[in-house]
Amino acid sequence: MVVGETVNYSSEKHVKTRATSESKSTNGHSALIDFRDVEKIYRTEAGDFPALRGINLQIEGGEFVSVIGKSGSGKTTLVNMLTGIDHPTKGEISIAGVNIHELTESNMARWRGRNLGVVFQFFQLLPTLSVVQNVMIPMDFCNMYVPAERMGIAMNLLEQVGIADHAHKPPSRLSGGQQQRAAIARALANDPPIIATDEPTGNLDSKTANQVFELFQKLVDGGKTILMVTHDEDLAKRAGRTVEIADGEIIRQ
Amino acid sequence: MERLRISSQWVKIINDIWGHKSRSMLVVLSIAVGVAVVGMINNARYYIERDLYGAFSQGTPASIQIYVSYFPESLADEVEGLRYVAAAQARRDESVELVAADGKTFDAVLSAAPDYSEMRVNQIEVEEGAPAPSLRGALVERQAAEALGIDIGDVVVVRLQDNKTYELHIQGIVHDLYALPYSISSEVMLYTNLETIQWIGGRAGYNRLDVLLEGNPHDRETALTQGTLIRDRLLEPAGYRAGSILIPGIQANPGEHWAQNQVQGFILILQIMSAMAIFLSGGLVVNTITAILNQQVKQIGIMRSVGAERLQIARMYVFNVLIFSLGGLALALPLGLLGSIGLGEFAASFLNFDLTLHNLAPDVLAIEIVIALAVPMAVALWPILKGTAISVYQAIYQYGQIQDAGMGRVQRLLFRLKFLPPPVMMSLQNTFRNLPRLGFTVITLTMAGATFVAALSTRASLNAMVGDLIRYAAYDVAISLSGGANRLAVQREAFRLEGVEVAEVWTRAGAVLMNPNGSEGEQLALIGLPVDTVTIDVKLLEGRWLVEGDARNLVLNEDLAQLLGDIEIGDTLRLKIGDTTRPFTVVGIASRHLSGPSAYLPYAELAKITGRSYPADEVRIRTSLDGFASQEEQDALAVAVEERFSNAGLSDSAARPRHNRLSFFSGPFQIILVVLVIMAGLLGIVGGLSLTGTMGINVLERTREIGVLRAVGATNPAIRQVVVVEGIFVAIVSWGLVTLISPSTSAALAAAVITAVLRSDVVFSFSFAGLLYWLGIVVIIGAVASLAPARSAVTLTVREVLDYE
Repeated sequence: MVVGETVNYSSEKHVKTRATSESKSTNGHSALIDFRDVEKIYRTEAGDFPALRGINLQIEGGEFVSVIGKSGSGKTTLVNMLTGIDHPTKGEISIAGVNIHELTESNMARWRGRNLGVVFQFFQLLPTLSVVQNVMIPMDFCNMYVPAERMGIAMNLLEQVGIADHAHKPPSRLSGGQQQRAAIARALANDPPIIATDEPTGNLDSKTANQVFELFQKLVDGGKTILMVTHDEDLAKRAGRTVEIADGEIIRQ
Repeated sequence: MERLRISSQWVKIINDIWGHKSRSMLVVLSIAVGVAVVGMINNARYYIERDLYGAFSQGTPASIQIYVSYFPESLADEVEGLRYVAAAQARRDESVELVAADGKTFDAVLSAAPDYSEMRVNQIEVEEGAPAPSLRGALVERQAAEALGIDIGDVVVVRLQDNKTYELHIQGIVHDLYALPYSISSEVMLYTNLETIQWIGGRAGYNRLDVLLEGNPHDRETALTQGTLIRDRLLEPAGYRAGSILIPGIQANPGEHWAQNQVQGFILILQIMSAMAIFLSGGLVVNTITAILNQQVKQIGIMRSVGAERLQIARMYVFNVLIFSLGGLALALPLGLLGSIGLGEFAASFLNFDLTLHNLAPDVLAIEIVIALAVPMAVALWPILKGTAISVYQAIYQYGQIQDAGMGRVQRLLFRLKFLPPPVMMSLQNTFRNLPRLGFTVITLTMAGATFVAALSTRASLNAMVGDLIRYAAYDVAISLSGGANRLAVQREAFRLEGVEVAEVWTRAGAVLMNPNGSEGEQLALIGLPVDTVTIDVKLLEGRWLVEGDARNLVLNEDLAQLLGDIEIGDTLRLKIGDTTRPFTVVGIASRHLSGPSAYLPYAELAKITGRSYPADEVRIRTSLDGFASQEEQDALAVAVEERFSNAGLSDSAARPRHNRLSFFSGPFQIILVVLVIMAGLLGIVGGLSLTGTMGINVLERTREIGVLRAVGATNPAIRQVVVVEGIFVAIVSWGLVTLISPSTSAALAAAVITAVLRSDVVFSFSFAGLLYWLGIVVIIGAVASLAPARSAVTLTVREVLDYE
């Protein structure tokens, strides 16, 4: 398998699903990712804070969607809803027919491990593992591939992101850009069809940010679906579609 | 490891352990300490049961000993023919003195048995040399031989009461498990035969019957009743005069080792301490695992974000704990074994038995394995399950942020202390943020402190008890007058010594307490003394002291009162003295003095009862009524008393200086107290480690706060101060609790130790000095335990703190 290769996926047997009336995307097909009237309210001592209000968003397979907005507009909350890291207060989120807002934490983790790769702003590599081990750990947890093959697959992914030479180093010995590439390789470890990423270039210089973006572009060309949160409007414009969010509402898509 | 194809999960576990060597070692050590202490104590108990009690019971211990007028060996066979007697052994005991080459004398017992190779009761093992002594020969007990440097081929001089001396050839070394060892009695046991006894002028015949009763009854009453039957149905009808019927040992049960109660009591105390060590080491595991989980919250979130289920992550930490457990066990097994060998060898040398094999008992091994594996796992499971339950969102976006969850009552109270500088206020507020964690740390330190104070209070209580005991030795020097002497002659000789102001003469007699049904009960000593005695400082618990003219009135000591049970002032006791039974009225009860069950009567009254005129069995000498002579003066006076009384033909016994009595009682306790203080020290170390863990977690959880402090200009010392003040404050809080609970825990420990060892009620004395010492120690622990977390805190930079988000 190489980066960009399309893989066929199916919903996990152990993940509860229910029949849903999937929304149609603009071209009339069923959307891969479907947000329906999603709301998120954070309850604080100072009062309720609505982070998302009535979000309706459909993304088709193979799309590269960027989400932009000002700080505090709800971008990160939106991507956290997609990854299951956070749960909506109201509304439904369906991905490939699976209502992820109904999954338990444990089922969500299992489902996410196989179907969704997450790339964080601060890379979030495990410091006590080498780079290649960081890439292998999702395979271990999700019991993907034969154990003897995992190293080869991980090396292959690192090769694709251009840091195979650093495979056996601890993450702390890599530059920010290299660490982000390692994080992307880890996100691809179980060959998920969807990549969700929150400010993946926020901590990188413009040259490195450009390289990371090109990597994403290559993944989309290979059939992956990417939702990328960014505050960099120039970069966002280079994605296939841009969703702008303000005060928890989509104001343009 | 990657090339070995170990899964990434295992690599992470191993790297986590290896990457934090100090922390891992801390957990491994804390498990090891707890398990090793359990191993040490239980394996030592196994040694004692196998090699002391086992060897003791193999040698057919006597249930009772009956002192009889001189009798032939055949009498033992006749006694053995009784249906309630399993075996009987004839013995002869003669008190002598052993005179060393430098003229120094030692109390000694010259003991004879018919055949040392076929002893039926209280079997003696000949370890070296001749299997039996020949005429003018003797075997010597090994402990005394070693202490005094006596060897086979040596010639020792024994001196009899008539001052005649005889030379005996040492022909062998024996091991006698049934005699009080030299380390305790300071009496040299010499084993010879009847011919040698006769050669030195003794009468023919044996004078002691060691009897093993049928069924080996373990209760004193049955044994004494059967002993009375032997006397009444066989000995006296056969024309022998039977004296005391004794149960061997220190208030021991028949057939049991003479110090079994004391040893078991001491082991029980150590086991309670080991349970505390396990509790604390378990707590430390909880603290450390919690610290690891807190430190790795973000990693847990990342693992969950890449597909790890909660149980998969929990399993990783369970394996982590398992590795700690195995490491702890690997250390604890040899440490525990070495400790048990040390403790066993110490017990063996003190109680005069041999450790046959330095092995680890299978059941002790099993206990160690179970404790090492189960306890850390059991205590760590909850924090693991709780720690791994965190959601990805909380782990990645919320952890480490300033929490504003409101204030508890204590925090609100602290908030009012507006005069406190902000860093100190922050430290104090921080202390109460996580009450369960604070609670555990405080409990750990409190337990250590309570144990420390309890150990010192036990010593203070012992000193108080010794102080009470020493009231009954209000003399400078005392000397026994074996065989009795004339009071007038004794006092005349005593007053010839320079500086002697008081020479108080006592007389003694043995008595048997008669049961209401007419059977004989326990033995007691009657002491006849001047009613205006100045050589004891009586502490009356009830009733009154003796007055001139008191006839048939007596004052019991507490030991006798305890033996009698519900005795009250005015009760009548029937005592058999000689052949006559007389009623006596109890007029007072005096405090105990560990000389066994005794009763005081006026000197003239006891002299009249025993039919002796001016009897003198002991003289107690003082050089001043205003105080006591110094230790050196007492020793010098003792030498002078011995010499004068020997020259006057009144006594050849060794004189007893007052200070010797003090050290006799204090000696064995020092060892116990050292063990207790060591245990308290270990608990203190575990408490300190626990505080280090807690402070480490606190620093980690407040990373962002520390960053904010940094951003507003906090210097390294300022940040260090916040952490160290918090540590010291926790320590002081624990000390406050120690002051509350230690009076009761100290009383309990003192009672347990003193009852176990002395079989005596405790006179409790709380150690306020110990409490103050602990304040100093715990403040140091608090400061030292905070240093490492404080160092971590000052290494954080503002940037790192921002990255933490």
